[in-house]
Amino acid sequence: MSEAIDAATTRPLRPARNWVLIIGALGMVSLMTWWSARGIGFSIIELACNLPGGRRLLVESWPPDWSFFPRLLGPLLETLQIAVIGTVIGGILAIPIAVLAARNLTPGFLVWFVDRNFMNILRTLPDLFWAMLFAAAVGFGPVAGALALTVFTIAVISKLWSESLEAIDMAVPEAVRAAGGSWLAMLQFGAIPQALPHYVSYTLYAFELNVRASMILGLVGAGGIGMVLETQRSTFEYPRVTLIVLSVLVLVLIIEQISESIRRRLI
Amino acid sequence: MNDKAAIRFKGAGVVYPNGAVGLAGIDLEIKPGEFVVVVGSSGAGKSTLLRSVNGLTPLTDGTITVGGQPVPKKEGRELRRLRAGVGMIFQDFRITRRLTVMTNVLVGRVAHVPGWRAMFNLWPAADREIAFKALERVGIADKAWVRAGDLSGGQQQRVGIARALAQEPAIILADEPVASLDPVTTHQIMRDLVRINEELGITTVVNLHFLDLARRYGQRIIGLRGGELVYDGTANSVTQEDFKNIYGRDPDAGDVLDEREAS
Ligand SMILES: Nc1ncnc2c1ncn2[C@@H]1O[C@H](COP(=O)(O)OP(=O)(O)O)[C@@H](O)[C@H]1O
Ligand SMILES: [Mg+2]
Repeated sequence: MSEAIDAATTRPLRPARNWVLIIGALGMVSLMTWWSARGIGFSIIELACNLPGGRRLLVESWPPDWSFFPRLLGPLLETLQIAVIGTVIGGILAIPIAVLAARNLTPGFLVWFVDRNFMNILRTLPDLFWAMLFAAAVGFGPVAGALALTVFTIAVISKLWSESLEAIDMAVPEAVRAAGGSWLAMLQFGAIPQALPHYVSYTLYAFELNVRASMILGLVGAGGIGMVLETQRSTFEYPRVTLIVLSVLVLVLIIEQISESIRRRLI
Repeated sequence: MNDKAAIRFKGAGVVYPNGAVGLAGIDLEIKPGEFVVVVGSSGAGKSTLLRSVNGLTPLTDGTITVGGQPVPKKEGRELRRLRAGVGMIFQDFRITRRLTVMTNVLVGRVAHVPGWRAMFNLWPAADREIAFKALERVGIADKAWVRAGDLSGGQQQRVGIARALAQEPAIILADEPVASLDPVTTHQIMRDLVRINEELGITTVVNLHFLDLARRYGQRIIGLRGGELVYDGTANSVTQEDFKNIYGRDPDAGDVLDEREAS
């Protein structure tokens, strides 16, 4: 008897919803949306009125100019090469940067602090910024693109992987230390093997991002297919633009499929 | 005998940063070649005692000398040199499951070869030979190229023992090496440790929870309670009363491995 009463009194009541918070948050979002739409002159009505213009563009862009394809092969290959170089160099440089930024592995607070902030700066600045910077430094072309993607790759991998490294089990690294191993031996035999599948996975992911990004980088003169896209667009060769967009789409999809299937097997 | 294998505690104490007492005022001398079993209930300080010998847990009080050399309080070359001669075996094996058995055993050689050789997997033939010998000694040389994670629990612990042996150590510290194993494997591993101690004369300190194992395999038994040394004597002379004192209560069925030996 008394047990039943006990159960009834200890079962907690469902807490009341905080309506003030819910309505307040919805109001905030609505207000910010309205303010932003006014600011940039975004209007549904105006969009609807401009639809015929958009239709004309689509009609002019179709069908794609297939005869242009042979001249795309070179730049497409260059795009791929820019992505490969950026991924490989960036992937290698990301290793020490990620290790030093992992709280459980870093040799000291100062190193950790400097490295963390360095990583944050790399990540905060967009890839287009790096492309323009390197274009100014080494001249317009694919080398500037590869350098920009190197920085971009470091930013992506080091952030993600340092978090994987922080999640490893420190028992084995301690055992390597107990056998007289140095900091490097502890990393090589105790820490890194645990997070190696993550590293491969993030590197493949960075490669996917890089193939996509190397198209945009061409727009600011950093080589590859993007540069062809920019010249064709500025001379209103829309059927050619369509072909370029389609080929990039296919290339990116193929690479994503391959990388996705490898990554699924890893983790 | 090799005096590198002597361990001497003088007023050794450990207070953890959170205020917990790990060890208090331990005076103890372990002679070269001895096989010592440390018993005590959970939290008695057994792990702390072992880990202070190779500096994984630094002392906050007193000193420990290994082969006459005080154990350094800070990480560095000195401490690495000391650790190179002290093998450690853990309850949870602590081998890298993703790497081969051979690579795991070669980790026992890292302190003996130049860093770049370990880094690029260019181990000298002599060191590979030592690793193979260590695997043969624990009877799993046929598994040398298998992924360590694919082995059974008992075999994984043998990899742990082989890694310690590959160090060619003067001392082996084993922290509850059989606590994750079934009774049959437990006896096999304990016999391995005794045999290695007899054949190679390596000073061996083993933490155990089970009383019957301590009595059967230990030469000398050390009892800890609340971080303090409360018993030190031969395995033959230890009484039920002594165990009661070490555990602070009557030993029960949970403190023995084989029920038929409980009485
Ligand atoms: N890393 C640590 N931080 C704080 N307290 C610890 C730590 N390790 C052990 N202790 C405490 O020290 C005491 C002894 O622990 P331990 O040596 O692990 O005992 P045992 O191995 O006999 O179970 C316990 O009270 C435990 O809670
Ligand atoms: Mg313990």
